[in-house]
Order: sequence, then structure tokens, then C-alpha cells
Amino acid sequence: MSLMIDLVKPDGGAARRPYGRMLTGAALVIVLAVFPLVMSPFANLQVTLTLVYAVAILGLDILVGWTGQVSLGQSAFFGIGAYGVAVCADRGWPVWAGLLFGVVLAGVVGCLVAVPAARLRGYALGMITLTLPVVAVPLAKRLEVVTGGAQGLNVTIAEAPEWTGLAADQWHYYVVAAGAALVFALAAALRRSHFGRAFDAVRVDEALATAQGVHVTRYKVLAFTLSAVYGGFAGVLYVVAVQFISPETLILTLSISLLAGLAIGGLRSLLGCVLGAAFYVVVPNVTGEVSAGQSYLLYGVCLLAVMLLMPRGVAPALDRVVRNVAGRRGRAVAPGD
Amino acid sequence: MAVRRETGGWGVNHGMQAFVEVRDLTLRFSGVTALEDVGFDVGGGQICGLVGPNGAGKSSLFNCVSGYYRPSAGSIRVAGQDVLGVPAHRKVRLGIARTFQHPALQPERTVLDNVLLGGHSTLPGSVLSAMLALPGGRRRERALAAEARELLALLGLAGVERTPAGDLPYGSQKRVEIARALLSRPRLLLLDEPASGLTHAEVGELGELITRIRADHDLTVIVVEHHMGLISAVTDHVVALVGGRKVAEGTAQAVQSDPVVVSAYLGVA
Repeated sequence: MSLMIDLVKPDGGAARRPYGRMLTGAALVIVLAVFPLVMSPFANLQVTLTLVYAVAILGLDILVGWTGQVSLGQSAFFGIGAYGVAVCADRGWPVWAGLLFGVVLAGVVGCLVAVPAARLRGYALGMITLTLPVVAVPLAKRLEVVTGGAQGLNVTIAEAPEWTGLAADQWHYYVVAAGAALVFALAAALRRSHFGRAFDAVRVDEALATAQGVHVTRYKVLAFTLSAVYGGFAGVLYVVAVQFISPETLILTLSISLLAGLAIGGLRSLLGCVLGAAFYVVVPNVTGEVSAGQSYLLYGVCLLAVMLLMPRGVAPALDRVVRNVAGRRGRAVAPGD
Repeated sequence: MAVRRETGGWGVNHGMQAFVEVRDLTLRFSGVTALEDVGFDVGGGQICGLVGPNGAGKSSLFNCVSGYYRPSAGSIRVAGQDVLGVPAHRKVRLGIARTFQHPALQPERTVLDNVLLGGHSTLPGSVLSAMLALPGGRRRERALAAEARELLALLGLAGVERTPAGDLPYGSQKRVEIARALLSRPRLLLLDEPASGLTHAEVGELGELITRIRADHDLTVIVVEHHMGLISAVTDHVVALVGGRKVAEGTAQAVQSDPVVVSAYLGVA
């Protein structure tokens, strides 16, 4: 059939062997499981915080990367989750109640903001979401009775059970890793489902999405709500990791850093969320070691360098390298081609 | 075949009532009249061509049917039901599917994913069940994917289901759009300039394809097209619009030789 002539060849990535990925996955799990047992508490905290921010960035990705909206409010949802669990712990309530309270409150606030915000786009939406951390920080300071004011709240949650024999940093690492793995798996399943396709359609072309039966506004509100829930959950994990929360944590700078992390890691990539978070956590430490006085300047230079070399982010760049290598190998073993 | 739609009571050519009835349709945008008193019928199972020079109102009419524009007056009935009051995102559930003039695909997603988007309205379920990847949802997804693959085969796209849609040549992208529209199991298919950008040979194949899917899927088709060869080959009935008004109606041959249509195309007003 001559219709076939103009078709491009099937994509080489599909031919990749499935065990290659399974082996890589298994190796990664083993490395992550052994890591806290052999590394220093400081290194453990770095990885734990990377996973915390990876969850917050993943939430942002659902909104920005999948659905094509923008938000400068993620730090506020992070704060709601963090204060939710910390305040509950402070009053002696069980940690699961705090978890539920923090995450649900973040989702409810996210949904309430989203209903009017979903009708806006671009700068207008950016401005609306900008107000969230601007309001949240003074609010956290003023509600001193509940939040501990500017001093913040010190809490003790998710203590290592006696039988494990683990130190606090090791146990917290495992708790955060399990929580992050769970919500990453949920997001991955959502992305593969028809919801994932619908979010993509809303981003690419609203008229197209509508013609397929997608209610555009409803999906934007849904993305915003999910994004807030992920932000809130990341806040809960943050309190598990550092056992502390203060208003300084949820400032606008965090929102901007999370957006930068998303851009660095690459949109619509689970790996990208982790890499972006790792950049945010690890690079400032390295630049601080290199030169304490010029730390921020060096961080900025690193950020610029990554964006210039890999404008679509680190994960897509890595993906391209892997594809090229696999493609070359594929040709080498098929000389008759 | 499995993709064949249950026709229920909407059979081909039953009774006197037309499947699509457009009556006195008028659409104005702040002083500009895009459509004025346009009316015509399309019988069930027929292929209706909509022709006319650029700016004649063909796409505006499609956008009224799709619900993107709200006409100032008139009515559009499909299978006896008034569709103008139905919001745009619910049109697909009424069995109205469309393609776009410039292929509106998700370029990063695979061809199969793009086609699956067309089945969105057939997949129920909550966000939570999608996140938990519950077996029921996955089974429905697999069944839909099998249907999508059959459609891709029908459209000559069997080898490229895993290719990112943006990597396909233009002509293939237009066929992906048709497959996507068919996956929603439509009763009425609106094709917006399906032949534009295609080679001569491709247009010939497209004509056969439209005729075949009409028969296989019990479709009624309205096609906006400039390519008179395609219009002559596939349509049962042609409506010509000029300046937002209907100027001629009849067989492709009759409409093409209509003096008003000819002068409109040649720019002689």
C-alpha cells in the first residue's frame, strides 16, 4: 500500500530490552536501600531532602509540565503540609492524623485557589499564585499560638522503632523514600492513564482537548489540586526529615527554586524531578565549599550553564544520549540493515 | 470488525427526517456576519461536501456544530436533537467527532497515544482509580488500545504506533486525526480540509478511505474541502457557501458548474 511510503521508521527506543530497565531499576533500589547504612548522617539528609523536594517538584510538574499552567505558590502548599503535620504533632495527635490533615488542607486550599485561577493563564495566573507565599509567610508568623510564630515548631515525629536499631537519620531516610516512591508510582500510573493524555491535550491545544470530550477548566482545577496535594505531602515529608518547620521555609524563594529545579530536571520526567531536586539540594553545598562568599553567584552560574547546555533539562538530555548509544549498538548488531 | 459501532435506532436513511438539519443559521462577530440564514439537510449515512472560497464561513459552521461558536440565530439538530445548547466538551458524547484543518496532535506523544485520546469520553473512572492503576481501568485501556490499533491498520498507520506523532509527515498526521476521531465511535464525522497538504496520490487514497469508513462505521460525514477532485469523488451532496450565505446546493457536478460558485472562486463578484 503506497500510503506506507511516507511513514518514518518505528522508533528505536521501543526495541530496548526490557530486562535492561529492570536490572537498572533493581540496582537502583539496592543502592538506595544500602546507602543510609554506610553513609554519613549528613549525606543521608542530603538524599532525604532531595526526595522531599522531588515530590514537591513532581507536583509542580503535574501543573506546569503536564497541563501547561504556571504556579509560584508551591512553597505555600509545602508550608500547609508541613505546618499541618507539625501542629498536629505539637498537640500530641498521632502522625497519621497530621499527615491527613496537612495533605487534605493543602488540597482544599489548592482547589479553592484553582477554581478562579483556572480561568486565567500566563502572567495573570502567575500573579495570583504569587500571592500564596506572600500571604502564607506572615500568616505563619502571626498565628503564633498555633504555629510557634517566627521561631517555628520543633517536633519529634516518625521516630525509629526500637527493633530496627536504626539511627534517626537512617529511619527518616527510609520513611521519606517509601513515601516518595509511593507518590511517584501513583503519578506515573496517572500519567499513563487517559487522565495523563487529557492533561497533555489541555496543554497542547484546548480546542483539541474539548473536541475529545475533555472539560478544560475541570482538568486545570484537578491539576492544580493534585499539585497542591503533592506540595503538601512534600511538606509533611520535610518535617519528617528535619523535625522542624518555620515561616522561613515557605518563602517565595522556595517556589522559584522548585520551578528552577523543574526546568533543570526537565518537564514531564519523573527522573527529571529527582535530578532537579538534587541540583537544588546538592549544588549550593558544593558551591559553598568552593567559596563561601560567592556561593550564590556560583550557584547561579551552574544554573545558567545547565540551562544553556541542556535547554530542555538534564533528563531529556540523558535520554537522548541513551537513545543514541542504543541506536548505534542496534545498528552494529544488524549489519544487514 | 470490533470497532463497528452499534447503530441502535440511528440507522442509515430511515424515514423522512434528515440526520443533520441546519436551519437559518446566523453567526455574527461584532458587526461581521460570518454566516447568514444558512440551512441544509444531510441524510443519515450521506457524505456532504461544504465548499466555498476562504472566508465563506465553512469553518465557522463547523465551529458552531462543535460548540466553539454560539450562533446568533438558527438551529442545528443532529439525529433530531438540538445540539447548540450542548457544551463543546459534551459534543463527542452525542456522537459528533471532528478533525482539524491543521493537524492538532500531541507531538511528543506516540501515534497510539494520540489516537487513544479520541477514546477519552469512553473511559469512565476516577482519578484515584487511575492513580492506583486498578485492573478494571487497565482492562478497559487495553481494549481501547486494541480498537485503536485496528483503526491504525485501517488507516495504513500500523507500523508507526510507537513513533512520536510530531515525527510523522503531514499526510500521516492527518490520518492520525481521522483515527482519533473514529475511536470516539462517532455517528457524525466532521472533516475540516482533510486533503490540504496531501500529494495527488494521497488525495485519491483519502477518498477511498472516507468512503470505506463511512460504510464500515455507519457514519454521516460533512467534509469541508477545496479539493474539487475529492469532493466529486466522495460526496453525495454539496453545499456551497459564499460570504456566509448558501449560494448553491446539489450534486458536486451541479454545484461546480453553478455560475455564482464559479465567479466566487475566480474572484469575479
